Parts: sequence; C-alpha cells; structure tokens
Amino acid sequence: MKDKHIIDVLDNTSIASLSESELSEVQTHAQECASCREAYNAARLSAVVLQSRAQTRIEPSPFFHTRVMAAWREQQAVESVPAMLRLWKSARAIVSSMAVTTAALAVLSFVLPAQTTPLTDQTASMLSAESVIMGQGSDDQMGYEQVLSTIYEDDDDAR
Amino acid sequence: MDLARQAQDGDESAFAEIVRRYSPRVFSVASRFFRQRSLVEEAAQEVFLKAFTQLGSFEGRGSIEGWLTRIATNTCLNMIRGAKRRPELTVSDLTDDEQQWLDHVDGGEQPSVENSVVATDLADRVLSVLSPEDQQALLMIDGEDASIKEVAEATGWSESKVKVRAFRARKKVREAMEKLLNRR
Repeated sequence: MKDKHIIDVLDNTSIASLSESELSEVQTHAQECASCREAYNAARLSAVVLQSRAQTRIEPSPFFHTRVMAAWREQQAVESVPAMLRLWKSARAIVSSMAVTTAALAVLSFVLPAQTTPLTDQTASMLSAESVIMGQGSDDQMGYEQVLSTIYEDDDDAR
Repeated sequence: MDLARQAQDGDESAFAEIVRRYSPRVFSVASRFFRQRSLVEEAAQEVFLKAFTQLGSFEGRGSIEGWLTRIATNTCLNMIRGAKRRPELTVSDLTDDEQQWLDHVDGGEQPSVENSVVATDLADRVLSVLSPEDQQALLMIDGEDASIKEVAEATGWSESKVKVRAFRARKKVREAMEKLLNRR
C-alpha cells in the first residue's frame, strides 16, 4: 500500500467506520512509512476530539419554554399591528369619501337655508300681487282683462 | 401533522406542545454549532419562532422533527455567517492542558472523561479552519456517526455535496492536527 492510498483512505472515511481489515492495513503501513504515520496519528486524534465535541450537548433549561412562548406572544402582537394598518389603508379611501359626503350634506342642510338669495324674474312673477290675491300659480296666470273684470265683479258684488 | 395544523390555526397550546416536545432535538442541533448556552438558547428560540411563521410550508411529507432539524441547521448557519470570523489556527494559543492532552493521547493513552473539555476545546480549534457548512458535515459524520443520507436530510444538501464537504473537511482537519502535533 502506497502513502497516497493511505491518506486517501483516511480522508475518504472516518476512522471509526473502517473495517477491521482496512484498519489493520492502515496501521501496518503506518508503521513503515513516516509521513503516513503522521497522517494516521493526526486522523486518529481528530476523530477523538470530534467525537468529544459531538457529545457536548446543552439541554433546554426549565425557563426556555416560558421564554419562547412569551416571545411568540410578543411576535403575534407585533404582527397584528401591521394587519390593522393594512386594513386602514384599504378602507381609507371609502372612509374619506364618506366623510366628505357627510360634510357636504351638513353644509347643504344647515348653512344654505339661512342665506337669502335675490329673486329672479320668474320667482318675482310667481309672487306677483295677482298670484298672492288669487292664490294661483304662475302657470295659470290671468290676462289683464280677466284681472280687471274679476276686480270689478267683486266690487259689483259688494255693492 | 395534526399538531402542526392546530398550531397553524393559532392554537397556542399546540404550538406550546411542539416547543416542549422538540426542544431537546433543536438544542442538540444548535449545540453542534455553539458551546455557549446563551447562543444555543438564542438559536433555539429563533428556530421555533421561524417554524411557526413557516408552518404553512410544512406539508406533512416528513416528520416535524426532520423539518425542525433543517430549520435549526439553517438558522445556526446563518447566525455563524453573520458573526465575526473566528481567528485562524495558531499553535502558540495551545494551553498547557491542551498540549498535555495531545501528548497523552498521541502516546496511546485513552482520553478520560475529565479531559473532555480540553478535547472539545481542541476540536473547536481545528474546526475553526473550516466553513460552518463543512464543520456541520464533519461533526455529524465523524462525531455522531451519521450517514451521508442523514446529513443530506438534515441540511437539505445533495448526498454528493455532503460527501465532498466531508472529504474536504476531514482532510483540512487532519492537516491542521498534523500541524499542531509537529509544532508541540
């Protein structure tokens, strides 16, 4: 077995997984070859320290569970705030348009009726003396002759 | 799967049960990467919070434990990547205890349980020459006797990638150990 082969074997597999015959071959060759002996010793020590390191285990403390659940609740609370913000963003347009509509209705209901507006010609004719006296609208206005006759008829009746 | 579904639906007791049941496994994975309790607990907490947000992606094809192992592995790898790079291997940093341990074991003595802390310190020293991913592969295979397939499942890497990582890591660690032995 040449040096190269032993080193390949050592790098390819962990020493623990070598079969008895493989291990025996490696050890035999390592006794004859200085560089392979160094490699073998280093590999053997590496395996020992790695196994020691792998056995180092930290167990959960009794408080770990409580800590995780507290962090989980905190996370849930933080995540619920952005959800509310997202809801507000989508509803904001509707809410603001409703607010504007309400304000406009309020103005129309309470402010405008208090204001006095100048009378137009049509409104003036609707409120003419004849309309007021006769209690008739502008649509069935009487002609001048009819008005005079009506007035004089009333006078005749009075006599 | 039922537990996962219940937790996904916001059942706090189901999530609490997941934490209780799988904490030892998650701690075991995090212990491969960190030796400080505070770091292991930080990693484990992040794993469970991340798992809760990703419960929707758990389709029940594998076990919850396997799924959590993978999240734990990736979380720890990310934590290490985000941390400062560890100093290079230096022989002058060897403590008296470490040198003594190397002398004894190199001379054929069996390592004792009392010296396991020294051995673990030495392991961290030689592992520092590796990337976190290569460390993970080597610790699982050579340290825990895990198979290539088991590492692939735990990490999400392909089996050939695991083989390459393990080979490269084993070679580097052996060379680092040789360096330590030659400079004693």
